[in-house]
Amino acid sequence: MADRMRWSPGPGAWRDDLSPISAADWNYDRAAHLLAHAGFGGTPDEIEALAHMGMERAVRTLVHYESIPNPGMQPFVESGLWDPSLNAFPESRPEATDRALKTGTAMGVDSKPAGKRPVQPVSDRFFYWLRATMLETRRLGYWWANRMLQTTHPLEEKMALLWHGHFATHENKVRDYRKMLQQIDLFEKGGTGNLRDLTLRVAQNPAMLYFLDAQYNVKGAANENFAREVMELFTMGVGHYTEKDVREGARAFTGWYFDDLAFKVNADKHDGGAKTFLGRTGNFDGVDALTIIFEQPVTAEFLAGKIYRFLVRDELSPELRTKLGAILRDGKYEVKPLLTTIFSSRDFYSQASYGAHIKGPVEHMVAMMKHLGVDAIPGVPDFNQSTIAMGQHLLNPPSVAGWAGGKAWITPGLLIARGNVARDVLIPDMTGFRDWNFTAGSDDLLGRRLRDGYDIGAATAVSDPAAMSTFDRVALERDEQFNTRISGYVGWEQAARKLIPTPRHAAQFDLTRMVMDSGAATAGEAVDYLLWRMLRVPASPHVRDRFVAFLTSELGTESIDRGKSYLEDPLRLTAHLIMSTPEYQIV
Amino acid sequence: MPTRKLCQCGVSRRDMLRIGAGGLGFGLFGGIGPVPHVFSRASEVAAAAESGKILVVFEWFGGNDGLNTIVPYGDAMYYKHRPTIGIRDKSVLKIDEHFGWHKSMAGMKNLYDEGKVAIVQGVGYDQPSFSHFTSMSFWHTAAPNSGNEYGWIGRTASALDPAGARANMIVNISDSQSLAVKAEKHVPLVFSEPDKFQRGVFAQEKPVIEVLAAQPHAVSDAHKYLLDVTKSAAQASELVRTAWSHYRSKQNADLRLLDLDKVVALIEADFPTKLYYVPLRGSLFDTHVNQAAPHDRQLEYCSDAIAGFCQEMKRIGRENDVVLYVHSEFGRRVPENTSLGTDHGTAQVNFVVGRPVKGGMYGTPPSLTNLVLDGNLENTTDFRRVYATVIEEWMGADSARVLGQSFKTLGMFRA
Repeated sequence: MADRMRWSPGPGAWRDDLSPISAADWNYDRAAHLLAHAGFGGTPDEIEALAHMGMERAVRTLVHYESIPNPGMQPFVESGLWDPSLNAFPESRPEATDRALKTGTAMGVDSKPAGKRPVQPVSDRFFYWLRATMLETRRLGYWWANRMLQTTHPLEEKMALLWHGHFATHENKVRDYRKMLQQIDLFEKGGTGNLRDLTLRVAQNPAMLYFLDAQYNVKGAANENFAREVMELFTMGVGHYTEKDVREGARAFTGWYFDDLAFKVNADKHDGGAKTFLGRTGNFDGVDALTIIFEQPVTAEFLAGKIYRFLVRDELSPELRTKLGAILRDGKYEVKPLLTTIFSSRDFYSQASYGAHIKGPVEHMVAMMKHLGVDAIPGVPDFNQSTIAMGQHLLNPPSVAGWAGGKAWITPGLLIARGNVARDVLIPDMTGFRDWNFTAGSDDLLGRRLRDGYDIGAATAVSDPAAMSTFDRVALERDEQFNTRISGYVGWEQAARKLIPTPRHAAQFDLTRMVMDSGAATAGEAVDYLLWRMLRVPASPHVRDRFVAFLTSELGTESIDRGKSYLEDPLRLTAHLIMSTPEYQIV
Repeated sequence: MPTRKLCQCGVSRRDMLRIGAGGLGFGLFGGIGPVPHVFSRASEVAAAAESGKILVVFEWFGGNDGLNTIVPYGDAMYYKHRPTIGIRDKSVLKIDEHFGWHKSMAGMKNLYDEGKVAIVQGVGYDQPSFSHFTSMSFWHTAAPNSGNEYGWIGRTASALDPAGARANMIVNISDSQSLAVKAEKHVPLVFSEPDKFQRGVFAQEKPVIEVLAAQPHAVSDAHKYLLDVTKSAAQASELVRTAWSHYRSKQNADLRLLDLDKVVALIEADFPTKLYYVPLRGSLFDTHVNQAAPHDRQLEYCSDAIAGFCQEMKRIGRENDVVLYVHSEFGRRVPENTSLGTDHGTAQVNFVVGRPVKGGMYGTPPSLTNLVLDGNLENTTDFRRVYATVIEEWMGADSARVLGQSFKTLGMFRA
């Protein structure tokens, strides 16, 4: 135990040195460091297993995971919210209702032939799908987070999370959880394979094509959005191509579109003429353009740097970036050789790489479960609400540039939220919890009024205009063919009738047993055990002493044995304090 | 208003004492001891950050209809495009023979008449996005059809204070941090409800929570940053809540300031903040359908809030120090749609408000005859010119450094 508890970053001189560490340099602490970066951290047993393997085998196990059975991975169970009439979903509510006003039908729903608010069913239908795909996407995020926790291939999920933030699309615009699911699958299956292949598949992915307006990129009217982002954010970075390259690249991608979940090329809308792109001339199409992009030296450096910064540390010297880029390029964009080099390297185990990575909120949440020995992410608190509070809404990155990561994960408010989420996991508010999925958001009150017999006008009106919500105010003034305020509520209700409920259980763990099994006899030993299990950067002796004093005071004794019958809540409060430390946020 | 004696960091000694006497954390104001080590690098604070000047950005998300805000009532084409929802010339609050304020904007009209409002017309960018979200991310990053990890306000903070030494340089009144304020070195103070900006802890945990940052050795830059934020979070949340309750106790109930009231509270408490970012919440600006009533009301609320804010700045003696900038993510299409509303458009109208501003019209009003992109206004003023103007002419920072290239400023401020 004493040996296991030794914190052992390698010498500072190892920084930027990509040669592998020796067998003698391998120990429990470095195995813990490896698992914290190549995955989401682990339980002492998981770390011990890696430590026992030796460095080479440990890295190989994490990187070449395909042959390891992964029985916990279950497919996503859909609620059955979608049907084919929702294909080519209108881009806006006005488009939906205009379509119905012109043709009498939209999204498989007809306008009423007579009576009040004849287009109401169509408006309801539009909001039904908005709510349905939003709610199902929350289930999807929760399901994915459980995969991250339960997988025997943690690096597969870690890399999928990286690519989700790199090739960023958000459901808020895509409005189809099925396309987001398709993307998770793509990132899981291709995230540690060949990067040129991955980028090509992303470029032909329906969520991405929709997100970057590919359907508007046609011969004679090229839309530059897609070509620009491919170069600027996905492969090369700004400054390595010209505006002309953007225009010519856009021409190469013309004609690419999607039909529901399938990639398609419309030959009639493809510009087959000659293009001069990144110094080459030819009748290029999108595949050619990507091939040329991956011939650029900067592409390998850009991508290798992105991988390194996500997995290891924010600060990356230009020299190291060049070296990493060369490895990726020499390996013909295969990711695994690069990952193996990084995770075996002296640089990775050097002081510079210890405590230099701020965990992202999703990573943080999954790691928290590992530390507590939890094998399923709890339903209370709600997973999505928790990570949103900490600044990361899975499947809804803030823009095409993804999450900034690093220090941007931490603001005073976000840091406080991390502590509050830890509390909600450790001491869940089971009796005060309300399931967000079934609250209809701000439309909750409206639903109650309708059930109390108010008519639509009265239900949407409130006496104090200053207290009115956006929708209230608009609805009050509307000449009603339909009432979107009502649709917002009805759509949520209709979606919720079908939506598979998220289980609302508390996290299942037993800190008492954990501490008893560790052999801790005193409050000091119990605190040391929890600190060792949870922190990758040691707490200061002063803070540690305060935690010991706290636990002693909560127990009324220093003796774990004396307090063993009421140990759980005092330990949970102590864990809350540990998880609120600055040190807990980094690995 | 008599000039107040300011110490070098722009905080009056009297107010320092007042805040200090409240039993609050010390040391948020660089240069006044005793300070924790993290805030003690006042000498590194660039001179530009030492002036008393403050910029408040009031973001009107939703896509405000500029043509029904500054109304070109003298142009027959306007009524041709807007036969139903055009603002009648009789009700327009006239500026000149051609333009007038929307009838709900008496508050801003009065400020304009006092010479305190710059109106900038035709503000936009090339190859505009018609997506609220995408377009606003372009405005947030000042990188149209592109992106940047950091926002323009965040980068302005870096230009003013390259070392990142000044605490609470940026305040963002919001539920979640705006991309506009993301900064390389500065930690934006982000909150919406001062009363909720606090740790959820059980009573017995409180004394221990306060010592979490007592760590003499940072093992990494990230660790040091976390220690810094842990300290500032504890101090800032208490300062914010105290400033707020102090302000609330004497708040003028007749002023409807929207979220600008929190800005007033912090400025009055002499927060060291130079850059405030306030997105409008519950916006009604996305006026696709039956535009008139919600747009009238939203403009009235916003105009009243800005007028009230200026009144408050006058009351606390800071009207020479504070400038407020208003923008949206795009304007709306010129022809009204069939639902008595307007759809997403391109160029918009911006406002820069405050006593230091040379009031008047800036930028070229786009033609209502030669429309572009299927019924849209031509962009005649790149929005980064307006950014450059407030960054350089007002805040005194190098706008080319913030924006990545030089933009001609508009000459908007009194010497």
